[in-house]
Amino acid sequence: MSTVLAARSAAPAAAPSTAAVAWSLARVEARRTLRNPFLPLGLGFALWLLWEIDPRTEQWSGGSYEGMSMSSVSLMWGLSVAAAFAFHRERLPVAVGAPVPEVVRVLARLVAMVPLLGLAGAFAALVAWRERALGGLPIGTEPGRTTDALHTAPELFQHVALGLLAIAIGAVLGRRMRHLAAVIPLVFLLWWVAGAFYWLYGNPVVTPFSLVQVQPILVIVGPSEANPLAFPDSWLLSPPGEYQDGWGRLFVSASLAWWHNAYLLGVALLLLAGAWPRPGRRTLLAAGAILAVAGVVGQFQVIP
Amino acid sequence: MNAVLAQALGPTARATSWRPAAAAAGVLVLAALLTGWSDRPADTVLALAAAGLAAVVVSGLHDPAAALLAPVPVSPMQRRLLRLGLLGVPALLVWWLLTALTTTVGSSGPAPLVALTACGVAVTVWAPPKRAVLVGASTPVVLFALQALPTSGLVSDALVWWRTDPWWVLCAAVVACVAGRQR
Repeated sequence: MSTVLAARSAAPAAAPSTAAVAWSLARVEARRTLRNPFLPLGLGFALWLLWEIDPRTEQWSGGSYEGMSMSSVSLMWGLSVAAAFAFHRERLPVAVGAPVPEVVRVLARLVAMVPLLGLAGAFAALVAWRERALGGLPIGTEPGRTTDALHTAPELFQHVALGLLAIAIGAVLGRRMRHLAAVIPLVFLLWWVAGAFYWLYGNPVVTPFSLVQVQPILVIVGPSEANPLAFPDSWLLSPPGEYQDGWGRLFVSASLAWWHNAYLLGVALLLLAGAWPRPGRRTLLAAGAILAVAGVVGQFQVIP
Repeated sequence: MNAVLAQALGPTARATSWRPAAAAAGVLVLAALLTGWSDRPADTVLALAAAGLAAVVVSGLHDPAAALLAPVPVSPMQRRLLRLGLLGVPALLVWWLLTALTTTVGSSGPAPLVALTACGVAVTVWAPPKRAVLVGASTPVVLFALQALPTSGLVSDALVWWRTDPWWVLCAAVVACVAGRQR
């Protein structure tokens, strides 16, 4: 009798709080995600691309400046694959009485992706250091030319915004597709085809919708016979060529980059809505749509 | 045995997930249209297509009913071949469409696609069963990525064999598949 009473009076072990369970899941997911073999592969290729950029050997004026923006594409591929692996685990059946609801689990997985954003941020910092070590990059042709151009803060921040987009792409594909093997080719084609078409993103009509914004934007400002000395001194110029009819102005703008980052964040939210459970999905969709539309409109306002 | 495979054709086609393949084909056709429209050489797009389509075909080897079908008198390799045929033929048709839409400086034959697919299948055959298809589908895209890394000598040559000597790569992969036909 006394034993029974003693057992009844003993306090039951305290159940872990929702936050503790979520934090624990986030830590486990972060560890597993950082061990994904696609991450070093994507990062290695991005670093090599960055290191290969040399303004002394560029094939066209501004090629190095454009290349710095595109150099992180393979890293984004790695981030998408790593995120897809993490979010695919959400498809495993969980008991109805699981200690945390799906919303918290998804949130925990998103927290686990923060180190990946840190990786994108570190890469952006490396780009900034590299172009300073090179003494700046050339853009344009005389009489409108500079040899010490550096990416502005919003242009560098694009690598982080792209990182968020890459995670969102991986999250939605990993969460919604039945088998991870089918995600691998899709993510590969998405990022590598996007990288192969970098030459298209400098078009003023395409750039507001492009996956990666590659400045400078080419705006045709005069016919082939125009006198380049007649253009304003502050303009960076591109002469007529095989793929260009007439004189072009190479337009570089921090505002344009900020608006494009807003657009990328909007698209990322739209995609994350696909990985998010039903409660709260509409909020994400609305916020994403507003940001994306504002980003596109803002870019069209800035482009001359 | 052929009759059994013929009977399995319909259910296997219905069980195959076609949406990823359709999405990949859509991305590639769009890329080919843009390349053709801009009058640029399509070598890069075709190299991407070889790796992407090969990965799609190999990812189609995922059989959700593999455990259920284990006791039936059709070997896993025969079931793999059935799935390869189902996805391989459309992949070749997409390749043909891509080459028709674009112009290339080098060769535009489907040999790299076939070689990468064979590599993926060989890896699927020999990889641990739990992650076999995942590792196999990753093989073509990893090979594509590795070719661009800064290497030299034999390693550098070997990483592009799927482009320079695809038929030899195909032979080696087929030998690996035959050796693992009981797996």
